[in-house]
Amino acid sequence: MSAPATAPGNGRGDERDFFLPDFCAARAVLAIVLIAALLGFVLALARQSTADGFWFDLARTTAFLLWAGLLCAAVLCRARPWLAGKALQPGIAWSLTLMVGTIAGLSEVVYLLGRLWTARLGSPSAILPDAHWRFVLPNILIATVVGALALRYFYVSQQWRRSVELEARARIHALQARIRPHFLFNSMNTIAALTRSNPAQAEEAIEDLADLFRVSLNDARAQITLEEEVEIARTYQRIEQLRLGDRLQVRWNVADLPPRSIVPSLLLQPLLENAIGHGIEPLPQGGIVDVRGRLDGATIVLEVTNPTPARTQSPSRRGNRMALENIRQRMELAFPGRAAVEVDDAEGRYTVRLRFPRVGDGPAPGTPARPDGVTPRS
Amino acid sequence: MDESKTTLVGAEKLRALIVDDEAPARERLRRLLEEIDEVMVVGEAVNGMEALERCAALDPDLVLLDVRMPGMDGVETARHLGTLEEPPAVIFTTAYDEYALAAFETEAVGYLLKPVRREKLARAVRHAARLAAPQLTRLAEQSQLGRRRTQVCARLGEQLRLVPVEDVLYFNAGQKYVTMRHRGGRELIDESLRALEQEFAPDFIRIHRNSLVARRYVHSVERSAEGHLFLRLTEGEETLQVSRRHAAEALRQIRTGH
Repeated sequence: MSAPATAPGNGRGDERDFFLPDFCAARAVLAIVLIAALLGFVLALARQSTADGFWFDLARTTAFLLWAGLLCAAVLCRARPWLAGKALQPGIAWSLTLMVGTIAGLSEVVYLLGRLWTARLGSPSAILPDAHWRFVLPNILIATVVGALALRYFYVSQQWRRSVELEARARIHALQARIRPHFLFNSMNTIAALTRSNPAQAEEAIEDLADLFRVSLNDARAQITLEEEVEIARTYQRIEQLRLGDRLQVRWNVADLPPRSIVPSLLLQPLLENAIGHGIEPLPQGGIVDVRGRLDGATIVLEVTNPTPARTQSPSRRGNRMALENIRQRMELAFPGRAAVEVDDAEGRYTVRLRFPRVGDGPAPGTPARPDGVTPRS
Repeated sequence: MDESKTTLVGAEKLRALIVDDEAPARERLRRLLEEIDEVMVVGEAVNGMEALERCAALDPDLVLLDVRMPGMDGVETARHLGTLEEPPAVIFTTAYDEYALAAFETEAVGYLLKPVRREKLARAVRHAARLAAPQLTRLAEQSQLGRRRTQVCARLGEQLRLVPVEDVLYFNAGQKYVTMRHRGGRELIDESLRALEQEFAPDFIRIHRNSLVARRYVHSVERSAEGHLFLRLTEGEETLQVSRRHAAEALRQIRTGH
């Protein structure tokens, strides 16, 4: 059974899908420090302190807010795995309770410090509060209101992120899952012809077609090894070879590729399909497709080159652009900001070049969803 | 049309030509056709040009034409076949072509989906009909295939003479026929200048009521002592007159074209 490694969460249990951000992350801590400083400034301004008292008030307020913010972050950070296990509404209620409780506790400690100061020095401190409830109660109320607003914000932005991601995933899936009907029916026709003239070849063609469709029906984000990806492209070539005969020649030059490197599936095969569909099929005499792969430092470079027929019809160009856009999106998803698709269209040769980082060499732990059926052939 | 059908289902066997660029597809069609009593396969062709040659040599009654072929596609091939004195009946075959299928339906043209079923093939063979030229033109427009021919066809008696469109210098309409001047000589064709203009715009420019010139062969524009405009071509010695009515538009197209 080829269940994807991470099933989309049903709202429970999956920490990555939880609406609270990870407060332990450096970025989150920095954001809290900044927000505390700004909020302290705003509050000091709003109290319209005298010119003399302004800096004093600012320092006092900011110091308290910094403590409050960082403590809340620490508490929520520790409680996050536990909160993520709750359903949505109890999760929100508990988060709010934890924040309000933390602030109440902090206020109480600060008040006690003030008491201690007064007891030691005989006179109340200017910095620390002296009135108990006039200090603690407003803090609890502010914490409730601000905490509720913050939770609402986290929830809405997480929903937004999630819908954007789902949309992107759906679009990519729709692009990839489109089984080229022309290819399917042509292959069926070839197999129908072979079943009588060459049953062994027909059998092999059916196996190849099955392998190809298994990969194509897989999760759009499935990752496989480069070796497997090359094998899928070769499987595809075998089927097309039956149909096109001598008109199709593919020169493979992929020995330098790291075989265990991890790539999104169906990266090379669509390039080969385009090269054959737009470069070879329109030529009555056929032509040569070059598939080259090399390692450029830590970057893998994959190149597919085909001859360009004199008259290129517009629909095929559109199909080509769509396939390239699909590959670009999936590479971006797999290697954010580190992958590139380049196109050279010069002197009768059309080349598509993919550049992406070499990753996951070796057994590659935690690689999701490998297609079961793809076994490298000898 | 009725006449053609009666001749097709005669006592003698139908002589069929198979046209497909893929060997397994030809092989399978041949095997299926050989199982149908009324039919005899007389030959195969791997593309449109070869199909036209084989038709001239073998004079088949029926042509099974693949729609997607390199060079000249099936619909264009059918258009050229349609200009023959006695064109063969045509059945198109395709694995999958949305536009072509819709066009075949609306024009009631015989077609088969690959992989072809034996019963459907037998039925199509019995009902195969010759296609009329206007029907083929409409088919080309609707199917988005062969809409703009790669070759222009001239007929010399029973022979077809195909001239690549890029070799044509100009078309000139005479009293009855249109003369096609090309790099290899000149040919009479049975087509209207208006239809040619529509099909081959913007590569051909109307410069006169009776002439259509290929933009790529325009060398220069000259003005005679009387003030008439003439085009000199990069091939051949002759000059072509540009009429006053077409001058402005023709000159604009010549200038912006390059």
